[in-house]
Amino acid sequence: MRERVSVFWLRLKSLVLRRKLESDLDEELAFHLAMLAEKRGIDSRRQFGNAANVRERCRDLWTFAVLETLWRDLRYAIRTLAKTPAFTMVAVVSLALGIGANTAIFSLMDVMLLRSVPVKNPQALVEFVRADADGSRMTNLPYPVYDYFRRDRGALADVLAITPSDAAFQDTASSQPAAAHEVSGSFFPSLGVSPLMGRTIGPDDDRAGAANRVAVISYAFWARRFGRDPSILGSAMRRSGERFTIVGIMPPSFFGLDRGAAPDLWVPLATDPDPGEVWVLGRLRPGVSVEGARVQLEPLFRQALESMRGMLAESAERERSSFLSQRLLVNPAAEGTSGIRWTYWDQLSTMKTLIGLSGLVLLIACANLANLLMARSAARSREIAIRIALGAGRWRLVRQLLTENLTVSLAGGGLGVLAAGWGHRLLLGFLVRDPSGVALDFELNYRVMTFGLMLSAITGLLFGLMPAIRATRADVYGAIRSGTGQKSAWNILLAKGVLAVQIGLSMVLLLGAGLFARSLRNLGAADLGLTRENLLLMDVRPAARSPQARQQFWADLTGRLSVLPGVRGMALAGDAVFGNGGWNQTVWIARPGQPPQDSHVSMNVVGPGFFATAGIPVLTGREFGEQDRENAPLVAVVNQTFARRYFANENPVGKRFSDRRRELDRYQIVGVVGDAKYGSVRETPQPMEFQPVGQRAALDSSVLHVRTISDPAALAPSIRAEIQALDSDAVVSDVRTLPQIVRGQLRQDRMFATLASFFALLALALGAIGIYGIVAYRVAQRTAEIGLRMALGAQQRDVLWLVLRETLMVLGAGAIVGIPAALAAARLAKSLLFGLQPSDPLTVVCATAILFGVGTLAGFIPARRAARLAPTLALRSE
Amino acid sequence: MGAADKPGDLVQGTLDMLVLKTLARGAMHGYGITEFIQSTSNDVLRVEEGALYPALHRLELRGLLASEWGVSENHRRAKYYRLTIAGRKQLAAESEHWNRMTAAIALVMDTA
Repeated sequence: MRERVSVFWLRLKSLVLRRKLESDLDEELAFHLAMLAEKRGIDSRRQFGNAANVRERCRDLWTFAVLETLWRDLRYAIRTLAKTPAFTMVAVVSLALGIGANTAIFSLMDVMLLRSVPVKNPQALVEFVRADADGSRMTNLPYPVYDYFRRDRGALADVLAITPSDAAFQDTASSQPAAAHEVSGSFFPSLGVSPLMGRTIGPDDDRAGAANRVAVISYAFWARRFGRDPSILGSAMRRSGERFTIVGIMPPSFFGLDRGAAPDLWVPLATDPDPGEVWVLGRLRPGVSVEGARVQLEPLFRQALESMRGMLAESAERERSSFLSQRLLVNPAAEGTSGIRWTYWDQLSTMKTLIGLSGLVLLIACANLANLLMARSAARSREIAIRIALGAGRWRLVRQLLTENLTVSLAGGGLGVLAAGWGHRLLLGFLVRDPSGVALDFELNYRVMTFGLMLSAITGLLFGLMPAIRATRADVYGAIRSGTGQKSAWNILLAKGVLAVQIGLSMVLLLGAGLFARSLRNLGAADLGLTRENLLLMDVRPAARSPQARQQFWADLTGRLSVLPGVRGMALAGDAVFGNGGWNQTVWIARPGQPPQDSHVSMNVVGPGFFATAGIPVLTGREFGEQDRENAPLVAVVNQTFARRYFANENPVGKRFSDRRRELDRYQIVGVVGDAKYGSVRETPQPMEFQPVGQRAALDSSVLHVRTISDPAALAPSIRAEIQALDSDAVVSDVRTLPQIVRGQLRQDRMFATLASFFALLALALGAIGIYGIVAYRVAQRTAEIGLRMALGAQQRDVLWLVLRETLMVLGAGAIVGIPAALAAARLAKSLLFGLQPSDPLTVVCATAILFGVGTLAGFIPARRAARLAPTLALRSE
Repeated sequence: MGAADKPGDLVQGTLDMLVLKTLARGAMHGYGITEFIQSTSNDVLRVEEGALYPALHRLELRGLLASEWGVSENHRRAKYYRLTIAGRKQLAAESEHWNRMTAAIALVMDTA
């Protein structure tokens, strides 16, 4: 074996170092002859012929016959392909798109699901997940679970906790917020990553009484905010007035463990007085399996949940028992936490639809390629026949044609892999709000390369072999005798069949494009139950710590903004009117003669004038006003669905409900407002109740809603200035308008509509090329017949119809295959559509009409040429 | 091969063995090998360059020999061949086989 390998290398080397080997051999032989002459007086010229023979035999030892013919075939293939640039371009570009689209999606899956995080021994990392009785899984675990897991001495070498910081950070120079992750002291040491500069956070920093609050910043943040200035080490970041000293800068490759959310900086977890819920990861001790770790940690998990029993006293019985019965799951986390998979990749339908779309494009490109190749071999049947007649082996010819076909597909594949980088970034732009915040860069790694090139090699073999074999089966005698290639050269029935399938597949893309585009329009125009225009939202968090100071801040802010020019109305709220969906809440509603029932509703805390500002109509009763304050009776406003579901036909105003099991008459309903969508455009209205800001504890942060007279974005700077004037440490983040929120939510829908339209256009173009090619060939073949018909009195119209009939038959066959396939595919994508059925008749009719229109036009051009032939000319062509 | 037609020429397998045996004494260039074989066999065995060089290259390809350029006794650049470890093993195997064969042939010849 080793011997064979070394022979292989020597031969490979000889291929490259041909000259060197030749000259070495010459020198060696020259020496021999010189020695002969010197020692024995033999005339070296007498030996000349012998030397040439030796040289020949040595050379044979070095070379690969196979590689050399391959190289010759390749050069020949490139030469012949260059002679037909139009064919080559269509074939290469269509394949490049098909393979590029598939590779881009593969690369996206690769970075999200397959690539390991760049840390020490990622294979030993596990992620802890809790699952409740209905199987829903959450990666955010209550803080006590982390605390209990730290007591483990058997399964885990390290326990890591991470949580995004609720509050935004700011550097001294700017009020732009920076996103932070709070991490346990074990985080950096356990991941084994070293800083680019300074130091990382260690266990000593992660203590409640640590002398100094420290922060480590990401490379991207360092570059973006500080222009890679090394002197910023030691300067401060602020969070609501607290100072954090920057002690380290991380290298560019480090993004933490969640590719989907790369933070700007990391701070110790202990600096957060109430971490709430955290992601918990662990590093397994050597020899401990994932399941073994689960078994060992389950008791600690139970104890942690039990320790929280006291905090659940106020909750409904059902909630408490479902909380306490949660189970622990352990997942390998070598690819990082599953956060990104849950946010963007959660809907499997997204991935399936993307794969479906790109798969269709590839199939269409392949069908197109197969037909092009068959037509090409047919055109060359005479050349091939002559070569067979001259004694070329059939296998040799197949190999040469196959080399040509593989050259096309590999050129397409190579181009496709290069285009995949661009496609990857494009898809990412659609999927993620802020591509700079995610470490999901395209990387031309071996997996992506292999995928793309394997795909092109397979298509080349699959769709190139058949035409090559067919082409070499030519009837030699007939092919040489007839000039244009006889009837059997191009199997026109097979070509039409392949074209019909290609058109059918295009139909699927066309219908998909139509459905996605119309669905996107419906989503964009959907009634949200509120007024979208001129509404500005922003998150505001004052630095003030005491409730009184915060209360004062909100009151002052309301006062200042109400009189700001350009503001028509403003209101504070605990949560945004649209985009987040409100908080979940359990309420009890007393009904006469029945035990009180607990129900799940959504809730938001809103200030006076909220509904007027948001444009949500008050149907009966009133909205909140200044009178709904601390010592007044507790009041609530409910939406129409709430009223209808819990009070049926009665007037809900004056009725009562509660958020506790006792005190069933806690809140009195003072108004009913129209249903609006709170979370997403797609949701159906849920029961929702609102409570006044004035009757709740002062908010830590709030979403400011401002109804403006004109362009809301233009007013944002002056509103920001008012906030800064009140509190220079206040953090303003996520300034947004309603159309922006909607647009953000429809990112995926826009992606499908754009991609499907683009692909459908491409498919149409390829289909048109295919039809044109076949019809033109048929016209050329039937020129004599057409001439005869015209000589016998056929009109131009008749000839046109004769030729077009064939086009329409191919299109009809394509539609017969395509429409049911398209409808079946659309049914699979039903959950992605909004406001229309997968079998939407208008879209089906339009897609079919476009297909027939384009197809007929492509067939019409050669048909008209046939109809205009002079009969005498046509007859003479025989 | 045609080389075996003339008396005194060697069949390929035997030539390989003789080359290996010759090189067991140390590195040598091609001409030196022919000289050595010829003189050691009292001019009975003649090695033609037409057989020698393909044999040397083949043995090198099989990893039994290694080569490098050096300077000959008369100060010319010459290619020197030496045995590799695999070459030494091969020589041992071939010598053993040769000894068995000649002993067997001798037995048959003596008896007759």
